[in-house]
Amino acid sequence: MAYSEVEEVDGYVGNFKVKVRKKARYVREEDCNSCAECAEVCPVVVPDEFQMGLSSRKAVYLPFPQAVPASYIIDMEACLGTNPIACGKCEEACEKVCIDYDMKDEIFELEVGVVVVATGMDVYDPTELDEYCYTRYDNVITSMEFERLICAGGATEGHFVRPSDRDVPQRIAFIQCVGSRNNAGDKGNRYCSNICCMNTVKDTLLLRDHYPDCECTVFYVDIRAFGKGFEDLYMRSREEGVKYIRGLPGEIRQDPETKNLFLTAENTLTGEVREYEFDAVVLSVGVIPRRDSALVKKLLSLSTTGDGFYMEAHPKLKPVDTPTRGVYICGCSESPKDVKDSVTQASAAAARAMTILNAGHVTVEAITAAIDPALCTGCGLCAKVCPFNAVEVDKEKKTAWVVSAMCMGCGNCGATCNQGAVTMGHFTDDQYYAQIDALLDEDAADKVFTFACNWCSYAGADNAGISRIQYPASPRLVRTMCSARVTEDFVLYAFVKGAPVVLVSGCHFADCHYIDANRQTVKRVYRLWDKLEKLGIRPERLQLEWISAAEGQKFARVMRGLEEMRQQVTAEEVEHTKKVLAEEWEKKLAREAKRKKKAEADESRDEVQVS
Amino acid sequence: MSNEEKAAVATGEELRIGVFVCDCGSNIAGTVDTAAVTEYAETLPNVVAVVRNRYTCADPGQNEIKKAIREYDLNRVVVASCTPLMHEPTFRACVAGEGLNPYLMEMANLREHCSWVHGNDKEGATAKAKDLVKSAVARAAQLQAREETRVPVTQAALVVGGGVAGIQTSLDLAEAGYQVYLVEKEPSIGGIMAALDKTYPTMDCSI
Amino acid sequence: MSQETKFKCLKCGHEYVEKYAPDDDIERACPKCHSNSVRPEKPKKADVAEKK
Ligand code: SF4
Ligand SMILES: [Zn+2]
Repeated sequence: MAYSEVEEVDGYVGNFKVKVRKKARYVREEDCNSCAECAEVCPVVVPDEFQMGLSSRKAVYLPFPQAVPASYIIDMEACLGTNPIACGKCEEACEKVCIDYDMKDEIFELEVGVVVVATGMDVYDPTELDEYCYTRYDNVITSMEFERLICAGGATEGHFVRPSDRDVPQRIAFIQCVGSRNNAGDKGNRYCSNICCMNTVKDTLLLRDHYPDCECTVFYVDIRAFGKGFEDLYMRSREEGVKYIRGLPGEIRQDPETKNLFLTAENTLTGEVREYEFDAVVLSVGVIPRRDSALVKKLLSLSTTGDGFYMEAHPKLKPVDTPTRGVYICGCSESPKDVKDSVTQASAAAARAMTILNAGHVTVEAITAAIDPALCTGCGLCAKVCPFNAVEVDKEKKTAWVVSAMCMGCGNCGATCNQGAVTMGHFTDDQYYAQIDALLDEDAADKVFTFACNWCSYAGADNAGISRIQYPASPRLVRTMCSARVTEDFVLYAFVKGAPVVLVSGCHFADCHYIDANRQTVKRVYRLWDKLEKLGIRPERLQLEWISAAEGQKFARVMRGLEEMRQQVTAEEVEHTKKVLAEEWEKKLAREAKRKKKAEADESRDEVQVS
Repeated sequence: MSNEEKAAVATGEELRIGVFVCDCGSNIAGTVDTAAVTEYAETLPNVVAVVRNRYTCADPGQNEIKKAIREYDLNRVVVASCTPLMHEPTFRACVAGEGLNPYLMEMANLREHCSWVHGNDKEGATAKAKDLVKSAVARAAQLQAREETRVPVTQAALVVGGGVAGIQTSLDLAEAGYQVYLVEKEPSIGGIMAALDKTYPTMDCSI
Repeated sequence: MSQETKFKCLKCGHEYVEKYAPDDDIERACPKCHSNSVRPEKPKKADVAEKK
């Protein structure tokens, strides 16, 4: 389905429900035979985005000659108007009557078992790099524009001409790493874009092939020619007489008359600093994550690494899996890569997807919620916080229940229920209290008590481990599926047991694996801060941090900070907290016992009635 | 009633926990005094067997677990090794092979969360490792057997993005006989590759 | 409705003002130390009364 966008994804591995919007083309693609009559009569001329704006197209157009589907499309932003019809020329011209001005977007609902994300990349826009004057000088172009100029199907039918005077340039410079490998991190990206070196090597050979007399000079940082056959190609380019100069030019100046360009650069191999004159300069621009990658990320609950590309489930062993089961990634959405690597990874993703499809069934972890009808009062608070609408409430019968197939086990309802009616499978309250007891029974004062969510902060701590980032040994971690599982009472109980500092940590907002469950975490922490303050306990002793699975650095930094904080908490302070909270805790236990008794009494009464 | 006793009452059986401390070669043992941790584990409530292994995840290590389950009639297993995000499935399968419900297995993360990050504080790391084992044992005492549900898989795939990667994935999946929906935002599939002239290293056409 | 609200960072103590509504969907961090332990000050009763 071309010209379509995924709007909504529901469900879980094996059973995704997807809503796709197929945008109106205003040309019936089944009928269009690309005769081009419509474009001929269309009076509107706009820059052609496929040719990087180097040539123009009409408002009704075919994106490029080999387009699939091979159907024209009307660009409604450019069209003179169809309501009322202002021009209508194309409709008249189309013999097959496939123009339909009233076409509407269509919504398709699909059911699929697996999802593969291959959303690709965008190209770095060098406008922000003042030194290269991309927007100021005509003859400074990007490597993407170069492709469209040298291509036989391109804007100039394969004649590589420079924009200022449409002459074929004789002296061409390539500047590498534009927008890549900038360690200052202020402009562009830190990472290596992987493909630009070889792309330039290829470009120089294309130029030498088309124009045997032209002189090519490449300014580089390092030439990375690591793939199969890459070194050979690089050597061929050198043999062809392409000059490689190690060092990037500091600036580009233009001769206002000839529009020729002057570059000053230091050859860091020889130490020679000099000025060079060129007819055209090609900026070898890097690869960036798609500008709209956040959208798909949200739809499928994916994570991204620090550089903005989608994150794999494991950097070595699960390179095409994602944290969401049944969702796979490949191509440049995962990291910059060339065609061959994209194809390899795509097949890998297909194979991984097939393991699930082929098995025909998946098992769902038995970590879902259950509601005890005897304790439930039907208040419906849990249903409100459940991100998956898995809780159904019967207000009349004053009870609620969980639809297991829809429950993902985040524990938000468990932390919300103030009747103690929710039991989280495999992550029960009792299990947590047992862990808190175990960890804080002895020497509580030396420990930093930490709740970490399974997907992000726990994995972030793993990441610190894998990267061997050192931090003090005081933290004691307890794993929750979501930070929203952290019941206020868990935190209070940790303080009752004498914890000097408690941390609640989870995924960044955008990464929450339970859609937005962790917004509730924030609310609970706010309430806890208020409560602590009211009881005369420094709210600072409860900390909140969002740490992603890739942020081992941040995890370690937070841990160092907490250790400093712990050392400032005095023994008296801890004693005071224990005393104040112990009273609160007694009250809570008494309340609970009473509730239990009542529930039991109700139950036996019910039984009597039944019998 | 203590928590442990409560759990025992709930399951109607005596708790018999086995703890398996892993050296992970020198990955853990290089920093954490695993011998001390092993000794300590023996003193924990309901623990009836403690075994120290060089590599618990390798076959010999897994066999030790299986053997101990049989020999000591274990009904809870604690593996003190690496992150559950990696090996939980491994050890769940291992205990399941011996007839124990996989949800009765708990892990303590002595590697990623301890030995690898406290390399220059052996004492602190060992103390922490003991705590982590203690916590895992306490949790294990509370674990309940759970049944996983099997859900059928819809025999269709969604591929988002019609560049070269998306096209390749779709072709592979379709060839294998599955229904594939390829969704592309732009009016034509092809992505960035369609806009390239020639491709390296063989200099062939991109379309 | 979001209102200019005083926030205090419970990590470094930095205080700053930012728009805030109880239901806005914004991940917050201290502008100084980047900690996420930032606490909004409750609107004082007096302020609320004044508005009325
Ligand atoms: S655990 Fe999470 S997903 Fe499951 S019912 Fe409770 S709130 Fe909903
Ligand atoms: Zn701060």
